[in-house]
Amino acid sequence: MRRRIFLGLLGLYFGLPLLAALLYSVATRWTDTPLPDGYTLDHWIGVFGKPDVTSALLRSLLLSAVVVVVDVLLVVPAAYWSVVHNPRIGSVVQTIAVIPFAVPWVVVGAGLQLVTASFAPGLFGTFWLLAAATAAIAFPFMYWAVEGSLIAAGAVRLSEAAATCGANPVQTLTRVIFPAIRGGVVSGALLVVATAMNEFALAKILVGAKFETLPIWSARQFVSRTLGDPNALAVVTIFTFGFLFALSALVVRLGRGRVSTIGRTLR
Amino acid sequence: MSHVVLEDVTKRYAGHVALAGVSVSVEQGEMLALLGPSGCGKTTLLRCVAGLTAFDSGRLTIGGVDMTGVPVRRRPIGMVFQSYALFPNLTVRGNIGFPLTVRRETKTGVAERVEEMLELVGLSEQGDRLPNQLSGGQQQRVALARALAPRPEVLLLDEPLSALDAQVRHRLRDEVRRIQHQVGITTVFVTHDQAEALAISDRVAVMNAGDIEQCAAPSEIYTAPSTRFAAGFVGNRNTLELRTSGGRVTAGGAFDVEAPWERVLCMFRPEDVSLRREGPGARALVDVTVFLGATTRVYVQAEVNGSPATVFADLPSRAAASLSPGDAVRLSVDPGHVQVFPA
Ligand SMILES: Nc1ncnc2c1ncn2[C@@H]1O[C@H](COP(=O)(O)OP(=O)(O)OP(=O)(O)O)[C@@H](O)[C@H]1O
Ligand SMILES: [Mg+2]
Repeated sequence: MRRRIFLGLLGLYFGLPLLAALLYSVATRWTDTPLPDGYTLDHWIGVFGKPDVTSALLRSLLLSAVVVVVDVLLVVPAAYWSVVHNPRIGSVVQTIAVIPFAVPWVVVGAGLQLVTASFAPGLFGTFWLLAAATAAIAFPFMYWAVEGSLIAAGAVRLSEAAATCGANPVQTLTRVIFPAIRGGVVSGALLVVATAMNEFALAKILVGAKFETLPIWSARQFVSRTLGDPNALAVVTIFTFGFLFALSALVVRLGRGRVSTIGRTLR
Repeated sequence: MSHVVLEDVTKRYAGHVALAGVSVSVEQGEMLALLGPSGCGKTTLLRCVAGLTAFDSGRLTIGGVDMTGVPVRRRPIGMVFQSYALFPNLTVRGNIGFPLTVRRETKTGVAERVEEMLELVGLSEQGDRLPNQLSGGQQQRVALARALAPRPEVLLLDEPLSALDAQVRHRLRDEVRRIQHQVGITTVFVTHDQAEALAISDRVAVMNAGDIEQCAAPSEIYTAPSTRFAAGFVGNRNTLELRTSGGRVTAGGAFDVEAPWERVLCMFRPEDVSLRREGPGARALVDVTVFLGATTRVYVQAEVNGSPATVFADLPSRAAASLSPGDAVRLSVDPGHVQVFPA
């Protein structure tokens, strides 16, 4: 019973704002009444016809894609190395993984701004700088997910077995380890995508209006002198939520068979 | 020349000695069992041969070739791990074929060899299953087939049967022996189970605290252990601590053997003890009898040189049927079967 009340309250806490945004995105006019005066899909149709919204969406998707690729390529081999070959660097990596959370991202952004301005002016204000910075702050999600599944899959034993079978390190990583931890990589990637899609501070500081991502576009709807398009903002909010939600549902569904496979092997 | 030779191999972990200068050799086609209690260094020794653990000093050659600096993947070995370590994402065929595909053998070559190995371990029906769809015994067969598929020179087995229940373990033990004979491969088999070691191997190396105490044929290990540790570890012996007089030890008439020390440990197996109603021997009272099938284990309280001692004897059940608790008997042990060590 108590659990039900708790879950109910939690549902309200998370659900109400979403519900309000959802209603607002399909409302004709909604001012001082409890419910909107009428409903319409015009905002949904209109938003995706607005060039600033579609290009912001594309920019955010591009950023997420680049960041996820960078993080997979960097983190999977690094996590593998630290778990299987050199547990001592594991503690170093774990410390590094906390930094993005200990230091405000605004500070990270401002710091990078200063450093690139004086040492790499070519990178200053570019998409690549933003991608690198986002990859850096999102990598702990990937690291934790990958490290956890490496340990759960018994990566040390599997690597030793592969070596006695004559496999070289690349063959071991691509044919044995990666397939065994695919579930962890995918869920780490999901968290990285969600982070990159929603990241505001770095984008604002590093590239600002030069590369307007979805969060920056959203913020502009509040801060521009004439209030932007609140209905469009509601549409974008619900759309982003729906997109990430669908992505996670897909991942959970794809991962289910694999995770239980690993679980049973361990037993 | 011996096939696998270890000379004075040592390995230390943070001040703790895991291998204290081990020297042992394995002949071509021979099955050597490494037998010893938990923590004595069996796995460490095996891993040193495989190259998974680097030793501190000493020398290892396989087929006359010094293995120093040779990485695991280039050593002519196949290994079976206690936990099987099958690749969870590959089918049985995929697992067995893995060592062949990483060596870039042709598709048909791999397929042929995989079928051959499936046949050898009796898993032809299960080739397309994933490891988690197999029983423990079947997984162990796959691990064995995977290790043998690339025709290694030496097979290394680390307690391959210890995770299985008794019935499967006994069946698979005999099967491992059959396969080893059939393939004729030089094999090192690690176990802490003395019955397994004696049953399966050509020679047994008894290990204790990072060193090999005795290395001999199973029958010799069983009947003539050369050290006190080997005697205690193999054969479930009675142990009596006794005082000698005039260079001999007499256990209240149970036996009379030479003993060049002042205090000695006398060890003898329960099947070498005889209990008679009368005649020579130490006085004893029957305590309990435990029926074991063909034999019955009889515990007696004996009086040995003035102090009481518990001795157990394994008698044919027919002979033991007439004994019941409280009966007075005479206990004697064939002196040829008593091992004497300084206490
Ligand atoms: N990686 C390691 N780091 C530190 N000490 C180790 C390591 N591996 C083994 N040891 C120690 O070395 C000794 C020998 O270990 P080993 O695993 O070879 O024993 P074992 O005979 O195989 O025992 P078991 O029958 O329990 O498997 C043990 O005391 C163990 O604690
Ligand atoms: Mg061991």
